Amino acid sequence: MAKHPQKPINLIKWFDPRNKSLGSWAFILNRITGLGLTLYLFLHLIMLGQLAGGPEAYDGFIALVKNPIFLAGELLVIAAAFIHGLNGIRIGITSFGIAGGKQKQLFIGLMTVAIIAIIYFAIRMFTH
Amino acid sequence: MDKPQAIVIGAGFTGVAVAYDLAQRGIKVTVLERGPLVNGTSGRTHGLLHSGARYAVDDQESAIECIDENLVLRKIIPQVIEPNGGLFIALNESDMAYREAFIQGCADCHISIEELNPRQALTLEPNLNPKLITAFKVPDGTFDPLRLAMGFAASANTHGAEFHLFCEVQDFILDGMGNVKGVKYLDRSSNQINDINSDIVINAAGVWAGEVAALAGNIDLPIKPTPGVMVAYDQRLCQRVINRLNEPGDGDIIVPQRKMITVGTTSFEADNLDYIPVFDDQVQLMFDRGCELIPAIKHTKERGAFMASRPLLDSGTKGRSLTRTFKCFDHKESDNVDGLVTITGGKATTMRLMAEKTADLVCQKLGMHVPCQTAEIPILSYRKFHIAQTREVA
Amino acid sequence: MTQTWSITYEIFRKKGSQAAHYDRFEMKVDPDEYVLDGIERIWAFHDRSLVFSHACHHSTCGACGMVVNGVEKLTCITPIRSVTKDGGVIRVEPMRNFPVISDLSVDMTVFYQRMESVGHQPVVSIAHEDSKGKFDPDDDLLRLSDCIECGLCISACPIALTTPAYLGPAVLAGAQQSGDLNLCVLELVDSENGAWRCHSAYECTEVCPSHVDPAWRIMDLRKKLVSRRIKKFFGVK
Repeated sequence: MAKHPQKPINLIKWFDPRNKSLGSWAFILNRITGLGLTLYLFLHLIMLGQLAGGPEAYDGFIALVKNPIFLAGELLVIAAAFIHGLNGIRIGITSFGIAGGKQKQLFIGLMTVAIIAIIYFAIRMFTH
Repeated sequence: MDKPQAIVIGAGFTGVAVAYDLAQRGIKVTVLERGPLVNGTSGRTHGLLHSGARYAVDDQESAIECIDENLVLRKIIPQVIEPNGGLFIALNESDMAYREAFIQGCADCHISIEELNPRQALTLEPNLNPKLITAFKVPDGTFDPLRLAMGFAASANTHGAEFHLFCEVQDFILDGMGNVKGVKYLDRSSNQINDINSDIVINAAGVWAGEVAALAGNIDLPIKPTPGVMVAYDQRLCQRVINRLNEPGDGDIIVPQRKMITVGTTSFEADNLDYIPVFDDQVQLMFDRGCELIPAIKHTKERGAFMASRPLLDSGTKGRSLTRTFKCFDHKESDNVDGLVTITGGKATTMRLMAEKTADLVCQKLGMHVPCQTAEIPILSYRKFHIAQTREVA
Repeated sequence: MTQTWSITYEIFRKKGSQAAHYDRFEMKVDPDEYVLDGIERIWAFHDRSLVFSHACHHSTCGACGMVVNGVEKLTCITPIRSVTKDGGVIRVEPMRNFPVISDLSVDMTVFYQRMESVGHQPVVSIAHEDSKGKFDPDDDLLRLSDCIECGLCISACPIALTTPAYLGPAVLAGAQQSGDLNLCVLELVDSENGAWRCHSAYECTEVCPSHVDPAWRIMDLRKKLVSRRIKKFFGVK
């Protein structure tokens, strides 16, 4: 059979939402949130690394992350986790042949849950 | 000894079947087609595998060809055929007046038919007009036009035939005596002009056969292009082909295919063969006539409307009464131009037979004695078809 | 019904090794005509060198798939009205994820080979096809299957875009529809570039002009593959 070289250059087109349907929006959101969460994982490990610098360095770092910009960043992490996690449940269900025809309704339903959860966390974080 | 070289002009049903038959008899075949496979009349058929019953009264020669070839195609290429049969239904007294002639005609042409009462017909096809008076079962069928051609082309491929698509013949290469020795063609995918030499050229250009033959000199072919309009609707309202039991007329047939049905056809004469518009009034006529056979068409959506131009043979009569049979011309005999044969007329259903007769003539001209085997050997999967790899693929 | 719109076709052009570009054709059309009718008129009256594929003009052959204003369409059944407005533009490009022969035509050979290798059935029992997989052996009527092998789903698939080795939606749907998961077919579909490569963008089902619902079929195929593996694990035949 003929060789089929990969075309990684086309990866960028994954993120082009023009003329795409809801399924693709879910696909794109899942890529973005997945990449975001991976990035966060590294930041998180660096932050944990601060513990090795002794209590002072850690306290200084904690003070820094209490400012609103960092809080907003943290909210993004929470949002990504909800979107990625709930969408993951949708993909998991449909991938095993269950409710494949209802993927749009599932997406809308689960994203509604995600938005409510994100709003709840936003209120809690910024009012404390 | 080198194989003789044949060039087939046109990759419609006739062209692919001729290519297959010649290649199988040991001739090196190159097919030149100005567009993709079956882009002209062949592709745009409603896909009726004729039982011949439609012509059993007025054109018995065609009818016999149709029923014989119907049975052959069912055997050799079932992969593209819905073999569910058809019905002829009578809705009024005029239809009933045709009944006797129909029964007699089908008997003359050995087409097996069975008369059904309205209840039996409606059990088979619940969407039929409930006012039907009588119905006949006939061995019609439906085929997929592109895949029918691809199947023959794939079989031709395995015998070495090459298909050059998007290659338009510009001129013939003639020897000093006006005999055809090859063709000059434009490859539209690279905009290059190429030559091929040949021992024989088969002009299978269908309605365009007259234009092609005229490139070789003062040749006049009796072809009367007769276009007709067809309209596809978005639901499969019948499982069998539904015909009107009467003289052939506009909108007298409904052909089911996949999840839709197609109503056909009209019949008129056209000037420009390369583009014939689909006229609104004819689409409306198909709708009205289709509703007479299956009233539920009223509630379905149009899926597509299209036009095809039949390459009918001119025997001095007009439109519907032109014969549906075919003819093979040796231009050595008719016009004193050697090296060129034209095959035209006919029906999709008789494509294999047309090719057989053409290949017989070509073999005779080349002094070869090889029998035709295409009626016995199954056609390969249409997915084995491939185009000639001469062009650069980006 | 006889309205006239002035529209512009922007057609992707490519010949041999020349650079690709777009040609513009201003046309008077009836908005209820189909996109393919306009393209055919461009060929007939404006530019005979235009290469495009088409055959049946009523959605049974699958030859005329193209990308119309960014979306995969079977052009013979896409009314002009549905893709543009009076004074608007119709940009027509060849399908993605296939080698371009020239202009709007693509080479489907590899795709057809794949359809063949998974044993997709071109003719099926009416009851079988209409019930998405349940088989009623009493019914002897046959019909041509839903999939017209137009390739639109493969053109629209984001995974086929980056991984040409991916079998693609139509092929996996073909394997599901055939129902015969013999060892050769299993090796193809129960693999990295088979059913497990799909990432659930559902574009295939979105663009399918012929009721196939390839995404559903891929998911159903996965279900079959998983249950097969589970049975194998517990030694059930």
